[in-house]
Amino acid sequence: MDLALVIQTAINGVANGALYAVIAAGFVLVYRATSVVNFAIAEFLLIGAYLTYTMSLFFPLLVALLLALPLAFAFGVLVERGFVRPLLGRNVVAVIMATIGLAATLDGASLLIWGPDQKAMGAADVSQLPKEMPNLAFSLGGVFLSSKAVWSLVLALPLTILLILALRYSRYGVLLRAVSESETAALAMGIHAPRVVAVTWGISAVMATIGGAFLAGAAGGGGPGHHLILLGLIVFPVAILGGFDSVPGALVAGLIIGFIEAFSQLYLESLLPGITQAIPFLIVLLVLLFRPYGLLGQHRIERV
Amino acid sequence: MAEISVENLKVVYRGVILALQGVSMRARAGEAIALLGPNGAGKSTLVRAISGLLPQYDGRILDGKIVINGQETNHLPALKVAELGLTAILEGRPIFRYLTVLENLRAAGHKLTPQRQKELTEEIFARFPRIYERRFEQGGYLSGGEQQMLLLGMALLTEPRILVVDEPSLGLSPKLTDEVMRVLDELRREKGLTLVLVEQNARAAFSIVERVYVVEQGRVVFEGTAQEAQADADVMEFYLGGAVAGGFAEAKRYRRRKRWV
Repeated sequence: MDLALVIQTAINGVANGALYAVIAAGFVLVYRATSVVNFAIAEFLLIGAYLTYTMSLFFPLLVALLLALPLAFAFGVLVERGFVRPLLGRNVVAVIMATIGLAATLDGASLLIWGPDQKAMGAADVSQLPKEMPNLAFSLGGVFLSSKAVWSLVLALPLTILLILALRYSRYGVLLRAVSESETAALAMGIHAPRVVAVTWGISAVMATIGGAFLAGAAGGGGPGHHLILLGLIVFPVAILGGFDSVPGALVAGLIIGFIEAFSQLYLESLLPGITQAIPFLIVLLVLLFRPYGLLGQHRIERV
Repeated sequence: MAEISVENLKVVYRGVILALQGVSMRARAGEAIALLGPNGAGKSTLVRAISGLLPQYDGRILDGKIVINGQETNHLPALKVAELGLTAILEGRPIFRYLTVLENLRAAGHKLTPQRQKELTEEIFARFPRIYERRFEQGGYLSGGEQQMLLLGMALLTEPRILVVDEPSLGLSPKLTDEVMRVLDELRREKGLTLVLVEQNARAAFSIVERVYVVEQGRVVFEGTAQEAQADADVMEFYLGGAVAGGFAEAKRYRRRKRWV
């Protein structure tokens, strides 16, 4: 076994996992704040990637991504206002069905707007060269790290950690956790619960965009296209492994799944083609059987 | 001026269940009043209505008027009502159970400047040493009495002019109930609050309020000073139960049912 290759696989896997983590963290944040399972999260990722793509036609990619973030935020807030808020207080199933409907709608809308073919960042048609983020790839002692891996380690990972810290210590984080527990009690204490919830959806869309842009080749790899929706499904295994209502859990679970995927790709794929895509869902099966509240899920406080 | 009045208020839930059938009451600036009455009388509905939280419970005001400081607030959302200086402590001790005591206080005082928040938090800790001792614990692990004290502290951090408290004695021992009442009385006098106390435990309420409304089946059936209420044989019999002279031993097994008109 080649040690350099193992290290390289581990780091690249963790880096890919950081992208899963950043998306799942936003997804879990919404679930915590509103108890809504956003089945349209994969489409959030897709829309985020396409927004970055559209911006990248006019600007350098880094600038394009930064410009796409406020747009994504507005998109998240809009979804909350239009689809979720009117249904709050109704049956949970109603809200879940609405997000599934939203997923189909966004899916179709993105087909109409951006077309079915896979794009390349910054290229309006095939004749143009795709743009990429500044190349940060490097090689050290036989360990090669792709630009995408370095970008996710310096951008997605710190961002997720920042979200966790903000949730834990910042004023807004405390308010968000208060609202997540009881909107009525929060309103009674004068907390602007609707605004907190809207901001949560906005943040979720921003996180999905960052993950989506890199999964869609902002730093190398395939461009934005409809395959991202399948890729986005990875959020569910990550969230379930992490504990579904725990943002730190999403981070840890994202890294673990990225790590496992990388090694599965390296060692198992040749023996069992396709196993890498199945592994996250096998993990879900095991988690649900043996540890339904995941790695860091909340245990209910029962005072006897 | 921090006064609240309710005129002929009618409230329905889900469009059909009439919970209040024309309630009127009034608390003048700096006054303490109590709303007494049995389960299901509509007391909590009144609290939800005046704090603007009815929509959260799928309730709606059909008729009547709520006026806070001269402003009609029938259709104001809860946040606007809170801005008028009214804070309601809802029934069932709605602290944030997964937040620590300190975080609960932070959430309640989020509108204050850090300086003011610190001052008030210290004041609350001085008043409730038990809360200070447990400040890093999650609210859900506090005892009932401690949760009630924490809620009072949280309410103080919203700097209310009118404080509405729904059943603070629920599930507390008589000794703790007395303690909660004493604290409420102290706070009201020190801060010059207008206090609306909703209780089933009439005896506890009598000790700290000036006037009393008795509510039953969505109507006000008695209105008067605390002394008048205690002197009224019917009110005492129906709403103070065991406290009738002679106590439980002489209480009739089957009480005559009185109709209030």
